[in-house]
Amino acid sequence: MTSGLTSRNGVRNENYLNLKAVTLEPRPFPRADGPDKVTGTGRYAADMVLPGMAFARFKYAEISHARIVRLDTSKAESLPGVVAVITATDVPDVRYSPGVADRTLFATDAVRFEGEILAAVAATTEALAQAAVDAIEVEYEQLPTVTDVVQAIAPGAPLVHPDWQNYEVSAETEQRPNVASFSSIAHGDAEAGMARAATVVTSRYVADASHASPIEPRAILAQWEGRKLTVWSATQVPFDARAGVCETLDLPTNQVRIIVPHLGGGFGGKCGFHFEAHIAALARAAGRPVKLVFSRKEEFLAPDRRREGMVVELTTGLNADGTIAARTGTLLIDNGAYTADAAFFPQLAAMLAAGPYRIPALKIEASLVYTNHQPSGSVRAPTAPQACWAIESHTDELAATVGMAPVEFRRLNGLRSGDVGPVGQTYGEIGLQACIDSVASRLTGETGTEADEAIGLAVGWWPSFPGPSGAYIKIDSDGAGQIITGAQECGTGAVMTLRQLAADELGMAAEDFELVYQDTGVAPYDTGATGSQTLFNNGRAVLLAASELADQIRQLAADHLEAAPSDIVLSDGHASVAGSPNPAVSVAELAATAAGAELLIAHGSGKPGEYPETVGASCVGDQGVAAWASPQFSCHGVRVRLDSETGVVRVLNVATCHDSGTILNPLGALGQVEGGVLMGIGQALTEGTQYDEDGCQRNPGLLEYKLQTAADAPTITTQFVETTGGQGPHGAKGLAEAPNVATAAAISNALAKLIGSHVTQLPMTPERVWATMTDATPSDADRDATGHDTSEPKSGDEL
Amino acid sequence: MTIDEQGSESESIGYDLHVNGQTYPVEATLDRNLLGVLRTEIGLTGTKEGCDDCECGACMVLLDGQPVNSCSYLAAQAQGRQITTIEGLGNADQLHPLQECLLAHGGVQCGFCTPGMIISAHALLERNSSPSRDEVGIGLSGNLCRCTGYAKIIDAVLDSASNGSVEPTP
Ligand code: FES
Ligand code: FES
Repeated sequence: MTSGLTSRNGVRNENYLNLKAVTLEPRPFPRADGPDKVTGTGRYAADMVLPGMAFARFKYAEISHARIVRLDTSKAESLPGVVAVITATDVPDVRYSPGVADRTLFATDAVRFEGEILAAVAATTEALAQAAVDAIEVEYEQLPTVTDVVQAIAPGAPLVHPDWQNYEVSAETEQRPNVASFSSIAHGDAEAGMARAATVVTSRYVADASHASPIEPRAILAQWEGRKLTVWSATQVPFDARAGVCETLDLPTNQVRIIVPHLGGGFGGKCGFHFEAHIAALARAAGRPVKLVFSRKEEFLAPDRRREGMVVELTTGLNADGTIAARTGTLLIDNGAYTADAAFFPQLAAMLAAGPYRIPALKIEASLVYTNHQPSGSVRAPTAPQACWAIESHTDELAATVGMAPVEFRRLNGLRSGDVGPVGQTYGEIGLQACIDSVASRLTGETGTEADEAIGLAVGWWPSFPGPSGAYIKIDSDGAGQIITGAQECGTGAVMTLRQLAADELGMAAEDFELVYQDTGVAPYDTGATGSQTLFNNGRAVLLAASELADQIRQLAADHLEAAPSDIVLSDGHASVAGSPNPAVSVAELAATAAGAELLIAHGSGKPGEYPETVGASCVGDQGVAAWASPQFSCHGVRVRLDSETGVVRVLNVATCHDSGTILNPLGALGQVEGGVLMGIGQALTEGTQYDEDGCQRNPGLLEYKLQTAADAPTITTQFVETTGGQGPHGAKGLAEAPNVATAAAISNALAKLIGSHVTQLPMTPERVWATMTDATPSDADRDATGHDTSEPKSGDEL
Repeated sequence: MTIDEQGSESESIGYDLHVNGQTYPVEATLDRNLLGVLRTEIGLTGTKEGCDDCECGACMVLLDGQPVNSCSYLAAQAQGRQITTIEGLGNADQLHPLQECLLAHGGVQCGFCTPGMIISAHALLERNSSPSRDEVGIGLSGNLCRCTGYAKIIDAVLDSASNGSVEPTP
């Protein structure tokens, strides 16, 4: 392979040459929530207890498509200990969901997936609540089940929502029969490009659905005091949860307070609005607080936040020199029975199918297809790991077709600073090529690959999401600071890093600040722990508040030290006059002065970064995410070992490199990358939801849905390319989702070198690996029915 | 008197549990698991429930120094034995070295797996005071963590071992 920065066709770009991946030295990162978490004193939602509280259980459909003929709760109501039973008739008749308003709190006329809620019960113990649920009688008339996305869009397929044309949808949402949302991106003339291409390669990849699977199952506790409602909820998005409660129960926002105790992870699984309104309505009916704690099985079956299954068909035309001439693609995304927040998925997936490549002519169509499966919703980088796995496996097939090493193919076709992307957006400084170089040099620098081992790599990209966000900062009379923020900590350390941002701005220490957070009753709005947006947007708010506070402190110090405010320097918790040997005054002393006068209190919000325009591309069903704000780039490389007797794959080590702009907290950033990689390995090898023919989950438990363990963990090395131009604080982009994009794809490519062909279903379980190995025996090595070229490089230690 | 899941009544009995060096009188039916009794009767909520099928390790406690999943252990069977929960290992003013190491290495994110992870690591280091990286991985493989990718947790346990933070049992 070529070394360092030399690319195959000699294309060089000044910006690119200046960019270099670096290993960051972590700065000590005192987590404000650390002591609570390691000592077990921190409270999570399931730990919350209120006097007189009752326990909730839900009656689920347990059938994936049926008309409700009769629903009778009378027996349940008469059981001992039961304090409330509610159904659709006990709540306002509201159809909700962002994008496509296609669902109600409780099933009305029909059920459309097995986890749909028919009724909710509150009783004095969990066991009594369950007994009451079991006593609810329901009679169904079964309806034809839609479980396959291809069949779902065939003419004459049964409709999951016969009434779909009457649903309220957001302005740009393009609906079709059994398609909740359709998006396409077209740029240049793909057909003409394909006709002129020297070689055309077609691939088809199919990904199973998977789950966010945070280790904390969700828990909710609701209490009414007069007309005021407080809900403690394990949600990633308290303001979204509040909006959902207000919309479905017809309440004003100032009567609803959502408090999130410590949150035990989410990964998108706890995004959106879920069950807060059910429990609030139950608590109102019961006249006492009501608590819900999910079992692990419910955590698999009920939330509308599953990672969507996907069918990806890609055709790429190549020029003789290996450059990409044109690409077309069709993506079918399994929406499940309701749309949750997934209306923008087709557009995201379309961009992922284009990939971070120079493609002069492009046409991608993506449909979010209704089925009778559990609804899909944003799980960490929604659509990305599956789509990237497909596109990057396809990319290795392309490289093989033109006889190029995969890494050289990516160097040749990958985006560079100043390039124009798929929807006509011109990029500033981007670190994709430096990411490739960083990973390639670390992976190939290793010595000795055994015969049963191979290395492979993949590139990924992902947007950042600018949005509104607010924070206050105050310093009280004793000099102790508080950051009061709408932001939500789900474990990433994003909220914890806010202390450092404020402290650096104010010349103080992170430990001088406590955080007041995840409480809609006290803090200004933030979107929540979603879209990797916390530091990106709330960091902006906190920096603005801190700089306003710094001005206030400088003014006080100027009076105190008899100097001009502009000459005041803040450091080490003190204010002093620049260049003056006179003693400094402590911020605590100034805060005491302020406590008797104008308080030290500041607020920040700031204008969210703008989304770039699309130029010269047509986007049908535009949900606003065709052009990506502060795009992030990554490259992941892996070394895998294959046991050819069993098809079992083990990932031995991983090299990653990310361009997420400025890294504000290296230790936290490394934690995000490493966690994302392990999740990616799970998606690659073990994590897939299996459905029976009726659309019910076969493996809703951790025994059969296998997460990676500490014994599976590979060593992971990570570098960052700190490009300029990120719209976040100090030039940051988002980060938390980007590490969950390229790992499965890199594993797929490494594995293909050992097998001679790509495994075309995700997860690449031992059975599927073994079946692919068997199919790829030399006797039928050159079959091309699936378009797979088996002349891929066989040497496992080259990229 | 309470009513079990089948709706039939079963008798509560009184017994003592020794937790973190203190004795707690408990009144509970015989079918209650140790996790539930620790969390709701005794009020020690540091031990977490992450699943109901003995798969996640969030509920891990030490019984006479041995790690057990308290979700799958009957509370009444723990009579007469020394139970150690996460609350018994250290507090905010004086963290156990394992707790300190975990924080310093960035091995804590959402924290939900953390109590079980620390209990497991403690048990591992009691058995093997200088484990290899692989041995730590295997020793912690009953504790699922979805956040960290395990690398920083394993680093922390290795660091803690090299400082001799847990006395090996002879
Ligand atoms: S709660 Fe005990 S193993 Fe998961
Ligand atoms: S830190 Fe979140 S599960 Fe381990």
